[in-house]
Amino acid sequence: MTLDLTATIIFVALFLFVTWLGFVAARWRKADLNLLHEWGLGGRRFGTVVTWFLLGGDLYTAYTFIAVPALVFGKGAMGFFAVPYTILIYPILYLVFPRLWAIAHERGHVTAADYVRDRFGSRMLALAFALTGIVATMPYIALQLVGMEVVIGALGFPAGGFVGHIPLIIAFIVLAAFTYTSGLRAPALIAIVKDVLIFVTVFAAVVVIPAKLGGYGAIFASVPAEKLTLTPPSGDSLGSYSAYATLALGSALALFLYPHAMTGILSSSSGNVIRRNAALLAAYSFILGLIALLGYMAIAAGVDRDPAYAAGFAQYGPNFAVPALFLASFPSWFVGVAFAAIAIGALVPAAIMSIACANLFTRNLYKEFIRPDCSQADEARMAKIVSLVVKIGAVVFILAIPQAYAIQLQLLGGIWIIQLLPPILLGLYTRSFNALALLIGWAAGTAIGTYMAAAQGFASSVYPLEIFGVTLPGYAALYSVVINFLLAAALSPPLDLMARRSAASTAS
Amino acid sequence: MTRAKKKRGWLSYWPRLLFLIPFVAMLWVPSYNRIEPELGGIPFFYWYQLGWILLGAAVVLLVHVIDTRITHVTESSRKRLEATDVPGDIL
Repeated sequence: MTLDLTATIIFVALFLFVTWLGFVAARWRKADLNLLHEWGLGGRRFGTVVTWFLLGGDLYTAYTFIAVPALVFGKGAMGFFAVPYTILIYPILYLVFPRLWAIAHERGHVTAADYVRDRFGSRMLALAFALTGIVATMPYIALQLVGMEVVIGALGFPAGGFVGHIPLIIAFIVLAAFTYTSGLRAPALIAIVKDVLIFVTVFAAVVVIPAKLGGYGAIFASVPAEKLTLTPPSGDSLGSYSAYATLALGSALALFLYPHAMTGILSSSSGNVIRRNAALLAAYSFILGLIALLGYMAIAAGVDRDPAYAAGFAQYGPNFAVPALFLASFPSWFVGVAFAAIAIGALVPAAIMSIACANLFTRNLYKEFIRPDCSQADEARMAKIVSLVVKIGAVVFILAIPQAYAIQLQLLGGIWIIQLLPPILLGLYTRSFNALALLIGWAAGTAIGTYMAAAQGFASSVYPLEIFGVTLPGYAALYSVVINFLLAAALSPPLDLMARRSAASTAS
Repeated sequence: MTRAKKKRGWLSYWPRLLFLIPFVAMLWVPSYNRIEPELGGIPFFYWYQLGWILLGAAVVLLVHVIDTRITHVTESSRKRLEATDVPGDIL
């Protein structure tokens, strides 16, 4: 591939614009950025509109835009589970998170670990939360780099080797610098630009590309019939039906437990902002549904058979489907806009994720275990430094380790993060659960979920569970969190009793 | 003040039961795993789920509107109760 000059100029110009915006953001709704809740939560003052952009930019990441259509492109109907998943997240957001916001606001919690520490009075449970959050988010940040790398490669920059990584490293230095100075205000402001670009790109794509390919009828007609629907179950297995449903439900339950989603939610200014957004964020889901269809458009356009893109597919696999489709369908200048949308779409979540990890490390490891007496300014300074370390870690991760590992780790991340659900959910309504029981449930769920993924060779998170001779292939995260919850519920009363007895005996 | 606000009976949360609808619709996969009827060349499997994005948002919006009505009504009756100081008037 040769370098596409027009596209690159547009791409670089848009990138410079958001860089400037990232630094200017420090002065937006000016406040003392030496306080952690100002730097790391934007002062909890984001209203409905900013929260909409921030959460939208946060949850619908560059990797989603590359990976969902790639999955549809490669596997057909099964990849479309992303759609029911995005439908189910909003009732969950509405039911759970305004209440969590109210508790966190009243008690000054910055992270989910702060919240469980306070609700169940357990430092160990909070530590488990902080570690799970950081470990599950790191590969997610790395995958944002994958999304960025694919479009930079598609612009025609030489791929592979150290030279191939230079654009990516520059992008991340820029990202690290403005996150350090502006905190959560930077991604919040950049998210607005990112979303405008994404909306323009997607609307252009769903109008222009089908027109070129002869309409939606022709697009679906060119997709092999076995890809168009799920394979119906046969024999003693519920087959793809249970896999599809559990993937949607499990992913929906896991999403808002991720530290970056929690950061986005806690930065809003009221519970009603969250409720309103539970309805309004559906606009992004619709965009995601349309983006998923780009996978079929890539099949119809036959980009994988075009020798011009053979090198790209060899380098990036199905992830190259959407960039190739854009290159084949759009004029150069618009390719620049579309690719910038994806690259900036990687910056926003990567910034929020690194801030969320920094908040977790500072609040729940540094202040809790290392320096309990640190001042508020120390706390904010530490968080800023950690946000840099996290990003350097992600870059090293992607440069040093094969990409397949990042994807496998992200898959495991989903299984690990969902184990935080029982304490968070129970904590909303009761404080009477035994912290040790919750901790045991967490450990068991994490171990079993990891085992289930390992049994599939870390290639898939769908585990064929056998109950009474019927095989129920389903999302390992969902199965393991059920065990987590049952174990916590069963162990809580006896452990409580033991704790009360030993307290009584020491008192007497 | 905040105490009184929290006292909202379980029954007043009934609108949230509406959330069962999108869950049942989406998790009952066999109900939509087919090609026909097509809509403008798009198989049922796809346009049905895309349509549910809008329906799902409508359900959330509906619950939110009913919820705010309920809070509004209970809040205003509580305020009237406090202002008149004659509980018998309303109860």
